[in-house]
Amino acid sequence: MPDRRRFLAGAIAASFTPAPTWAEAGSPRYVSAARKEDGSYALFGLTEHVQIAFEVPLPGRGHAAAAHPRRPEAVMFARRPGTYAIVIDCVSGAPLARLAAPSRRHFYGHGAFSGDGSLLFTTENEYEQAIGLVGIWDTTRGYARIGEFRSGGLGPHDIRALSDGATLVVANGGIETHPASGRAKLNLPTMRPNLTILDLDGDVLSMTELDPALRQNSIRHLATGPDGAVAFAMQWQGDAFDHPPLIGIRKPDETVTLLEADLVSHQRMQGYAGSIAMDHFGRVAVTSPRGGRCQVFDGSTGQTLSNVALPDVCGVALSEAGFAVTTGHGLVSMNVGMPEDRGAYFDVQWDNHLVDIHGG
Amino acid sequence: MPRIIATALLLFLPNLSQAADITRIVDEHILPGYETLVAEADGLANAALDDCSPDNETLKAAYHSAFDAWISVSHLRFGPSEEEQRGFALYFWPDTRGATQQTLTKMIVEEDAIVQDAAAFPTVSVAVRGFLALEFLLYDEAMQQVGTPEYRCALLRAIASDMARTTSQILEGWNTGHAELIKSAGENETYRTEQEALRQAFTALTTGLEFTSDARLGRPLGTFDRPRPKRAEARRSDRSLRHVVISLEATRAMAALISDGDTQLDSMFADAVARANALDDPVFAGVANAEGRFAVVELRQDIDAIRQAVAIELGPKLGVEAGFNSLDGD
Repeated sequence: MPDRRRFLAGAIAASFTPAPTWAEAGSPRYVSAARKEDGSYALFGLTEHVQIAFEVPLPGRGHAAAAHPRRPEAVMFARRPGTYAIVIDCVSGAPLARLAAPSRRHFYGHGAFSGDGSLLFTTENEYEQAIGLVGIWDTTRGYARIGEFRSGGLGPHDIRALSDGATLVVANGGIETHPASGRAKLNLPTMRPNLTILDLDGDVLSMTELDPALRQNSIRHLATGPDGAVAFAMQWQGDAFDHPPLIGIRKPDETVTLLEADLVSHQRMQGYAGSIAMDHFGRVAVTSPRGGRCQVFDGSTGQTLSNVALPDVCGVALSEAGFAVTTGHGLVSMNVGMPEDRGAYFDVQWDNHLVDIHGG
Repeated sequence: MPRIIATALLLFLPNLSQAADITRIVDEHILPGYETLVAEADGLANAALDDCSPDNETLKAAYHSAFDAWISVSHLRFGPSEEEQRGFALYFWPDTRGATQQTLTKMIVEEDAIVQDAAAFPTVSVAVRGFLALEFLLYDEAMQQVGTPEYRCALLRAIASDMARTTSQILEGWNTGHAELIKSAGENETYRTEQEALRQAFTALTTGLEFTSDARLGRPLGTFDRPRPKRAEARRSDRSLRHVVISLEATRAMAALISDGDTQLDSMFADAVARANALDDPVFAGVANAEGRFAVVELRQDIDAIRQAVAIELGPKLGVEAGFNSLDGD
């Protein structure tokens, strides 16, 4: 799958160029982790033309790369509750840095670069006191840890930098975990997820909680949209046969709109939204690997624009034409739900998230 | 949909120590199940046309037979039953928001004229289209006081006819395409490999068992401090336990085909069925007292043991595994 000549050419070019760019990694638009047929794991770069730009072996099942906005560097987190992450040079395949969670902390598997790429923010759990944290790493000094601040809630999961370059949004999933009990959820009866907006120093600018009836709806994954809108995807931890909304859009005026498809289509999501993306028109795409569904909504009218059955779909990101999705069956589809969809199957199982190097 | 096949599909086919035959699953399990359902649903629609009174014992018997036939195929939630929301239209349960009762009441009170228009009727909410809407009309005394007997009769007939049409659409979908599609897995986009066809059947088996454990038994069990007997499935027509037995027998038949006659697995099903049959509690009212509750918990444990065996032994044997993303969670 990797084009060896291009791979070498990239490596040689890199040795002469002080600041490599994504072009040298084969101009991928996306990065995604995957399991290969032989059971090993790798990080892949994917182009908008559904081709593999690069492939870098990984030591194990990784989670949700964050991609540097300019340099061909991707951050892979060890599987939750992992205590390390590696920064990979996507041109050479070499590890550039290893991020170790400080003591009594583990990563939650997501990170976000500041708009200029100088800082990396990672969601973390201080598990002895059950405090959600955001760790700060300086990418210009070999990803040195330079600080941390509170995330504004328990179980911070996804984190995104807003386009103003000055604010972050964190999905505090509300679920307490402790490495001693793996991924067991310790506080379902009392959980209180929220969406917190912070400045880069960690000062909380706003915090959004949903109706108390939705207290067990864990806010997990995020997408940023036009005019400061943030779309969020939730995972219902309450009665499996209740079907509360799984998608929300928060506007800068702090209003929240919840979206759901018609009764039956909504139930097919099975209380679980795995990934979310939002485009410049405010359209929102959400996937449910449990339900094997991808649904696209008009964020302003709430209308369902498409509703597609795709087994084990999870990764979703913006594409040139609409939304790209990946599945655990190897499919990469570049314009999901549309008649002119273009896609290809690869002999891999794509992992949870399709990370858009262009952000969003 | 044009597709670029970027890489050759080098499929890793695990060594099938026991060959599950998808053709047999279709011909001996799926198609006969739907044929029975269509016949019974026709019988139900005709009985309703003859005499729509809730006192009509023939109608009630037809309701029970058709419902039995539905529960026997209700684990087959893929293909034609999932198109146009047909499965949901026949059976909307659990109905945690009480949509059936609310929507039915509203229709009856307002005398919604859509009952006179068979072509338009499928546009009404799935909550008032299937067996449980019929159950309210036939067995719920409060519902039988709402509106006029004439309108309730017209509504009951409209629902029964719509159900007959829906079931025949499902069977037609199988006969005119889906059966062939799944049998020719590997030669089409829906089932790209034989493994995908087997995985579909395997998923139907596992989700059917899961539903019986979590919904049919789990919902009335509730918690020890708060048992929820009124959540029992189809309790108004005394069918809760009956559904567990029928569904166990249906998934047992499917498991026998998928496992190519695994006798150990079959005996686990036999034990669970025997325990269910010995349970003298048709609507799980007993979940509210210690002794009755224990009996239902034991039945659920039997079913969960079957689920465990299917997941741990049968799945790997077939070379099908649960979804990479759908079961991992993040």
